[in-house]
Amino acid sequence: MSEKINIPERHTKWEADIKIGKKDDHVVIGYWRDGCKGCGICVDVCPKQVWEIVEAKDKWSGQVVNIPDPSKCIKCSLCEIHCPDFCIKIY
Amino acid sequence: MAFEYEKYLRMEKMPHLWCPGCGIGIVLKAMIRSLDNMGWDKNDIAFVSGIGCTSRAPGYIDCNTLHTTHGRALTFATGIKMAQPAKHIVVFSGDGDATAIGGNHFIHACRRNIDITLVVVNNNTYGMTGGQHSPTTPIGYKTSTTSFGNIDPTFDICLLAKAAGASYVARSTVNKGKILEKYITKGLENKGFSVIVATANCHTQFGRKNKMGDPISARKWIESREIPLDKARNMKAEELYDKIITGEFISEEPEKTFWDNYNHSTQEYTDAYQTIIEKAQKSKDGESK
Repeated sequence: MSEKINIPERHTKWEADIKIGKKDDHVVIGYWRDGCKGCGICVDVCPKQVWEIVEAKDKWSGQVVNIPDPSKCIKCSLCEIHCPDFCIKIY
Repeated sequence: MAFEYEKYLRMEKMPHLWCPGCGIGIVLKAMIRSLDNMGWDKNDIAFVSGIGCTSRAPGYIDCNTLHTTHGRALTFATGIKMAQPAKHIVVFSGDGDATAIGGNHFIHACRRNIDITLVVVNNNTYGMTGGQHSPTTPIGYKTSTTSFGNIDPTFDICLLAKAAGASYVARSTVNKGKILEKYITKGLENKGFSVIVATANCHTQFGRKNKMGDPISARKWIESREIPLDKARNMKAEELYDKIITGEFISEEPEKTFWDNYNHSTQEYTDAYQTIIEKAQKSKDGESK
């Protein structure tokens, strides 16, 4: 990747090599766990079921989200657009 | 490439206080992307809000912001625009703020066609004060003040703005973040009064009493009621009952009908006011001719 990626330090980072159609690509997903309220909108809007809800006892809502397999991502950025808490970044 | 929201946010105040899954966050993000599309300097933007859940937005946006009294956001915004016509004024308002308590100010701002962009986040209830019914609560739905179902007919904010004389009117929902961004950008580009209605979910107050207490089912409920404007033109009135018509009600070049020419001035208000200032300066001793 030639573009400079500057994910803030507070973000958890996932990276994977992906294929979009026949084109090779690379995705970096940033997720701010402290800002997340566990609403689950990213899980709902994702067309590839990349996100999953996991239990978190330290949170008020009792849940956060996690990515088990980032290579399923197709960089549609729907989760980034629809996250109400400014928590997700897709590079 | 991910969008840098941090450029327009006061990150020391984040995370924000809205409920988990609240649609206002999505509308605010669309708003920030639209402001970035315009490429304006942050010092030239004034961001105004009234009272309600949406009123917290100026606390998080890093530009000139103003948190005003209930319903009077447009009044303060008109004052800013008259004093500083070169600045770009954005008003972020809720349905209770814009159509109930500020309903009078709303129709008069539309009538003047002043160059302000108004974003109304319509969540069908008064979310902050405990879920009372608002002028946009659909008939038959329960709220804390209408325990057996609401009987009041609703306002259609878009048709109200169109009839009152706004020059750009559009509506979308929180399920379509990218389309919201497009509409708000068009509203900011339009020289005149622009109204963008974003139908949002309030699962905490409104949804909980109507069997959709989580954000996903509240968003699904909104999605099931969406009808595009072009499709709605060919539908009967009974089929459109309890639906949300989305699309651009008035675009940049409105079709000129008899009624448009009859009642509405197409001149922008601060331009009209400038001609009055020039006339007054030319006349001797302030005499009118």
